[in-house]
Amino acid sequence: MPSPETPPAYRPAPLLLVQEIRSLLAAPALWIMLIILSLLVGYSFIQAVELFSQASRTALSFPELAAGMNPLDGIFVPTFGAYYLSETLLLPFVAIRLIGLDKQSGALKLLLQFPLSPLSLCGLKITAMGLVWLLSLLPAAMALGFWHNLGGHIYPPEIAVLLTGHGLYSFTVIAVAMFAATISDSLPTAAMFCLALTLGSWVLDFATSGQGGMLATLGSLSLTGMLRQFENGLLSTAAIASFLCISLFFFLLTAIWLHPGRHLLFKLGYSLLVLVLLSSALAGAALVPGYVDVTENRRHSFNPADTRALHQLDKPLIITVHLNPQDSRLLDLEHDVLAKLRRTVPGLKVRYLQQKSTGLFGAADDDNYGLIEYAYGGRHEQSYSNSQEEILQIIYKLAGLRVVPDPVQSYRGYPLVADATASRWWFYGILPLLFCGAGLFGWKGKW
Amino acid sequence: METRATKHQNGEGLCISGLNKKLSSYPVLVDVSFTVIPGEIMGLIGPNGAGKSTLLECITGLLPVDSGIISQHGKTLTLAQRKQLLWYQPDDILPFARQRVQTTLSFARKMHGATAADLEQLIRRLDLSSMLNKPLLALSKGYRRRVLLALALLSRRPLLMLDEPFDGFDLRQSLAVMDLLRQYRAGRSMILSIHQLSEAEKICDRFLLLDQGRVLAAGTLGQLCRQADLSPQATLEEVFLAIT
Repeated sequence: MPSPETPPAYRPAPLLLVQEIRSLLAAPALWIMLIILSLLVGYSFIQAVELFSQASRTALSFPELAAGMNPLDGIFVPTFGAYYLSETLLLPFVAIRLIGLDKQSGALKLLLQFPLSPLSLCGLKITAMGLVWLLSLLPAAMALGFWHNLGGHIYPPEIAVLLTGHGLYSFTVIAVAMFAATISDSLPTAAMFCLALTLGSWVLDFATSGQGGMLATLGSLSLTGMLRQFENGLLSTAAIASFLCISLFFFLLTAIWLHPGRHLLFKLGYSLLVLVLLSSALAGAALVPGYVDVTENRRHSFNPADTRALHQLDKPLIITVHLNPQDSRLLDLEHDVLAKLRRTVPGLKVRYLQQKSTGLFGAADDDNYGLIEYAYGGRHEQSYSNSQEEILQIIYKLAGLRVVPDPVQSYRGYPLVADATASRWWFYGILPLLFCGAGLFGWKGKW
Repeated sequence: METRATKHQNGEGLCISGLNKKLSSYPVLVDVSFTVIPGEIMGLIGPNGAGKSTLLECITGLLPVDSGIISQHGKTLTLAQRKQLLWYQPDDILPFARQRVQTTLSFARKMHGATAADLEQLIRRLDLSSMLNKPLLALSKGYRRRVLLALALLSRRPLLMLDEPFDGFDLRQSLAVMDLLRQYRAGRSMILSIHQLSEAEKICDRFLLLDQGRVLAAGTLGQLCRQADLSPQATLEEVFLAIT
């Protein structure tokens, strides 16, 4: 029999990590998610290849159109769109089990008595979930493999950033789900809490899509909006810091609130401390923004010579826009020029003077509608153009700069006419059957 | 030779003083104080809703107390220190229900630092061999209780607190479990929360009678008989009825 005097010689963390992985693999919810994910990824991939091929037929006939044939937008983002759905709607149900099931079954009362802090316990649980999450990348890896075999072009930095975005988004969803399970009495309540946040974020992004100005900025702060930056091939320190701070916030709250033996005041006090610390970190990250345009066609960047010149602007550049948020010209201006200028010009201030009338062609009674004003170093210019080239010339004129663009190799695109329907056997048949078999294996307690 | 009584006087046991706990402003534990003497099996008895499980969870640290001290050798024990000293096995739990019993027991063995021989012995004593490849979820109530008991007895901690360890067992099985507990008491104390008084009387050295969160009486059966003005031959049931 175990002697109380004998000192224990074991390492609880690896044991518990394996135990958590086993618990997750035994969960039918995980395998159901993987089966659905396989079907969704397959459908998205096959559809994306079909549409890309249709567009490529035209592009191959008219080479000037080929530059628009970008596999990131045409294949990978739609394929990974299936992951967004899965991470938003299905992943919470798997992640909630990490804590919720332990609470429900009473296992948590045992786990909390082992020589591990709640923080370590939560850390091991989220690590186990992270390792299991890697399983979910199998359909995406297969899609990439099929695309490569079809002769499609893959630019690894774009894929890496796309994966980073989905990894961070998943980490955030998992942390929210763990916290929801910690503070909820039942699994359905936790699921509602978690879905309210993920779907709320989607609704915010949806409601602000197609809007310019402040609404667009608000939308970009949603989880979905932040993920879109990665989908667009833009690695932003602000987006990374935001994802990390939000996920760390919920993760640390989980660790604080997990132990039922802690007093409410202790929990509230530490929660407030975490909030203050992470808000400060987030504010600090926002003060020193950094961006890396990883796209092959450098869509988020000006010509290197323009970037160098704009970096040199040492006075505030004030741009006043007389356009309504719904106006498509403002959307183009935001996307093509203002977003790039924000990342490049140190002292940029953009003011939106919203008009009262929202008629089809703008405010007919306002002569200034559509006007964009520029002020730099006491000089002033105005224009109705939202073309990048013209706007840059206005700014250079105000700053007294003369810029000769660097010669850069133009992006020629990667049009490809291919047929991916053969992959349906894998996505709709073999992969789901494999997941189903693994799920049955786990269901019988074989893991 | 050092007796249990002298160990008690030396303050070697776990000392609980003035424990108070309210749930939604309703008092569930009121000024609960007692000492667990090293090596003894203490029976925590009382009617349903008396606060037995709450008391055990408060001692373990799974529930916060409003006031009170849990100490040993005159020093208040922190939550981390209590983790080294005691193990609490709750009643009616189903941990890692989808995993095979063998996997769960093996995990617990390693976490507790017990040997493979310890586990084999427990499996044999609790007649669990035929259930090892089944998930806990698929077992009958009796077998689930045996697995839970095995999980607790794998612990090396000096104080074991078991909530309703005989629940779900028939008479023969209960007697076998009592034998097992007596064997595993060597070198440590146990607190057994039991609502079946006849079983408590058979195995416990001392009793703590709890009702509505208050300690009504504490001591050996003889001491309780005296407190209740009953003859020394009175049963625990008679004492319980007289005191409550």
